[in-house]
Amino acid sequence: MRVALVAIVIATVASGFNRTQTVASGFSRTFPAGPEGPALRQSRSAESLALQPPTYAKDIAPLLADRCGMCHDAGGAAPFGLLTYADVKRHATQIVTVTRNRYMPPWKADPSNGPFVGQHPLTSAEIDLIRRWVDGGTVEGDPRDLPAPRHWTDGWRLGPPDLIVTLPQPYTLQAEGTDVFRIFVIPLPVSRTRFVRGLEFRPGNPKVVHHANIRVDTTAASRALDDADQGPGYNGLILRSADYPEGHFLGWTPGQVAPLLPKDLTWRLDPKTDLVVEAHMQPSGKKESVQPSIGLYFSDTPPTRTPAMLRLGRQTIDIPAGEKQYTVTDSYVLPVDVEVEALQPHAHYRAREVQGEATLPDGTKRLLIHIADWDFRWQHVFQYESPLRLPKGTTVSMRWVYDNSADNPRNPQRPPVRAQWGQRSSDEMGDLWMQVLTRNEPDLVTLTRQFRAKVAVEDVNGYELEIEKHPDDTGLHDSAALLYLEVGRPEGAVAHFQKALALKGGSAPAHYNLGTALSVAGRLDEAVSEYRQAIQIDGGYANAHNNLGGVLLAQGKTGEAVREFRDAVRLQPQSASGLANLAWVLATAPQAADRHANEAVDLAMRVVDLTARRDARALDVLGAAYASAGQFDRAQEAASTALRLAPAEPLAAEIRRRQDLYRQGRPYVAPDPASRR
Amino acid sequence: MPRLLAALFVGMLVLGSAVDVVHAAPQVRVLAVEGGQNVDPLAAPAGIKAIVFLFTSTDCPISNRYAPEVRRLATTYGPKGVAFRLIYPSPAETQTGIREHMAAFAYTGAAQAFRDPTLGLVKFVGATITPEAAVVAGGKVVYRGRIDNRYVDLGLERPAATVHDLSEALEAVVTGKLVPHPTTQAVGCYIADFAR
Repeated sequence: MRVALVAIVIATVASGFNRTQTVASGFSRTFPAGPEGPALRQSRSAESLALQPPTYAKDIAPLLADRCGMCHDAGGAAPFGLLTYADVKRHATQIVTVTRNRYMPPWKADPSNGPFVGQHPLTSAEIDLIRRWVDGGTVEGDPRDLPAPRHWTDGWRLGPPDLIVTLPQPYTLQAEGTDVFRIFVIPLPVSRTRFVRGLEFRPGNPKVVHHANIRVDTTAASRALDDADQGPGYNGLILRSADYPEGHFLGWTPGQVAPLLPKDLTWRLDPKTDLVVEAHMQPSGKKESVQPSIGLYFSDTPPTRTPAMLRLGRQTIDIPAGEKQYTVTDSYVLPVDVEVEALQPHAHYRAREVQGEATLPDGTKRLLIHIADWDFRWQHVFQYESPLRLPKGTTVSMRWVYDNSADNPRNPQRPPVRAQWGQRSSDEMGDLWMQVLTRNEPDLVTLTRQFRAKVAVEDVNGYELEIEKHPDDTGLHDSAALLYLEVGRPEGAVAHFQKALALKGGSAPAHYNLGTALSVAGRLDEAVSEYRQAIQIDGGYANAHNNLGGVLLAQGKTGEAVREFRDAVRLQPQSASGLANLAWVLATAPQAADRHANEAVDLAMRVVDLTARRDARALDVLGAAYASAGQFDRAQEAASTALRLAPAEPLAAEIRRRQDLYRQGRPYVAPDPASRR
Repeated sequence: MPRLLAALFVGMLVLGSAVDVVHAAPQVRVLAVEGGQNVDPLAAPAGIKAIVFLFTSTDCPISNRYAPEVRRLATTYGPKGVAFRLIYPSPAETQTGIREHMAAFAYTGAAQAFRDPTLGLVKFVGATITPEAAVVAGGKVVYRGRIDNRYVDLGLERPAATVHDLSEALEAVVTGKLVPHPTTQAVGCYIADFAR
């Protein structure tokens, strides 16, 4: 079911490429006017309320139009309209019941949290006003008091989109049963890179679509699953390759539309990207046709800032059957100042209460989010009206409580069974996602690097659990191996890639992956053997040639390495990694006979162009090439530019060392691994 | 001996909570969707052991989600002498709207439909909610309440029902036993609102 990992260009032994995130500084941001309605009309004074019974026209109609109309309108998400006297009267008792128990309007978070975009809870006084209107006989009142008619669901709430995509074929939802989760893959027909300011989801059949998780997949992996499944979409899990775009939440809950992003905070959309929409649907009693549409809003300018996505949570969740108070906690100390843009708590059916909190450096606590009655069916991204500043040293923490007993009506298993971490809705999860902005790019780099390490360790736990359940799933082994590499445990990666290789019966990518893990583990001879097997199966495998070159170089076999790098570049002339590796060895080879400075400069300049002068490693290669050609001023300049991009250690220290050499008019020559033996 | 007495006592309590319907009350008349202005909802051909009145409305989502279950029960118990009658109590429901609703949810042919705009039958059996079932057998309302326990409250539902009250009641009726729980609380839309 899963697609083989092809071409992971990870740190090869000789030189690899670290993508640097590009973000300019700046905290200030303004949101454009959101799709919220006009403020509620001035309500009558408490005194006059006490004297005369409330009427529909004067008291109830404006209240319901403001708080309920976005769904309870013809064509809205709600099962019936609430914008006429007849309709409201027909549901009067129900309105009293559901407002008093705060099922409606749907807002699961404690009203004191936020304020968040789209948060319009009814006050206790307003709930009481509705009750008194019903008790007083649902008086219509003077029609002249009615508010001007307002229609929420006509057209797109964010305005005419720049691109509208629709599920090509409608999906037929079964008539009965519990929640259905179906993943639709919708290609985005853009012929050039665009920058997305927002998207608006229209469920197509709002009566049955309860909420939607939306991701983007720049690979063909999700599409392959969709193609393999009959009918539109597929059943299963959102793949790892389908992710939130560059730290942005995407999703839809009824009645809510995330406002457009400011132009400096857009996200990049490249051609051949698919939208991956996981629709959560509730059968209605009859077969239903579901055909969602998504409107996208573009900007022509790239973002100057990128948010980071933090995720607290555990993948070691293991709840015994019958356990009523299983608690999951996690915390993280912020290494830099941040502004929290949005929060999304996530758990499945057994969670009963979720709470996120921030403890400031001075010890004061601030409640971020508290949902006393967690309901998996009302998942929402809580976006702050204005971002919440949290200083460096703040501890953000979460505490989720689960009830895996038969007393929890939402428990999907009866009798209850042991529940472990897993992405299926019958498993359990517990995460608090936080979208944050940092003050500047170095802070973003610090935060993402530190945070990624924490998350990867947790992800390893999750994958091992999944693999226990599905030991023959090659995709799981591949993904787990990648994580082991990320957390610096290459032997774990070797073990999982070996397993994947055995399961796949020896494909070229499987040999390649294993070779890469072996090279990172320092098992160079074995790595060479795996890469050669990959190339034997697929002679056009550019990345295998490239990585093999890296290993040979580390073994001191410069000539052989150059041949492999040349093959890589021949097969893939636009590969920055291949070009950079070839330039590097031609510039810095231990033996003078292997060095070809002018060719190295030409190649390095191509790499710098390909990476838009934003990659420190590319500029470092260019510096070394210039120095090799005796152009030390240019070499120094390239090194300075590289250092201004704030590369990670140890690369930064190496560039500084080389810059010192260039100042002294000396080129950098790589040590000869052969002579060290 | 004391144990037997206690058992008898409990049994009588259960009997006592069933609503007595001495005979088809002359004032209770409904409108048949397929014609018939003044229909006695309790009239039934010979051989019918029980009538299920299933109170519903065209736009109540919980009622509608039960359509497949109601059809299943009608298919199971129809041959055992149970008649299923859909009752639309809302005065706002039209003949055409009900026909469309029945076609959409595949009720057509599975159950007869009646309108009860004056709420005569609603009051007679004590229904308050759609969907709610009332089972009349032997001249008595032997069961009134939910179809099953899938919905706990508005906004709180189980992934699947664990107690199937209406099915249990019908099983008891057709096998000549006492209905174990003669009244339960239904969850859904309020019939009281229809009469406002």
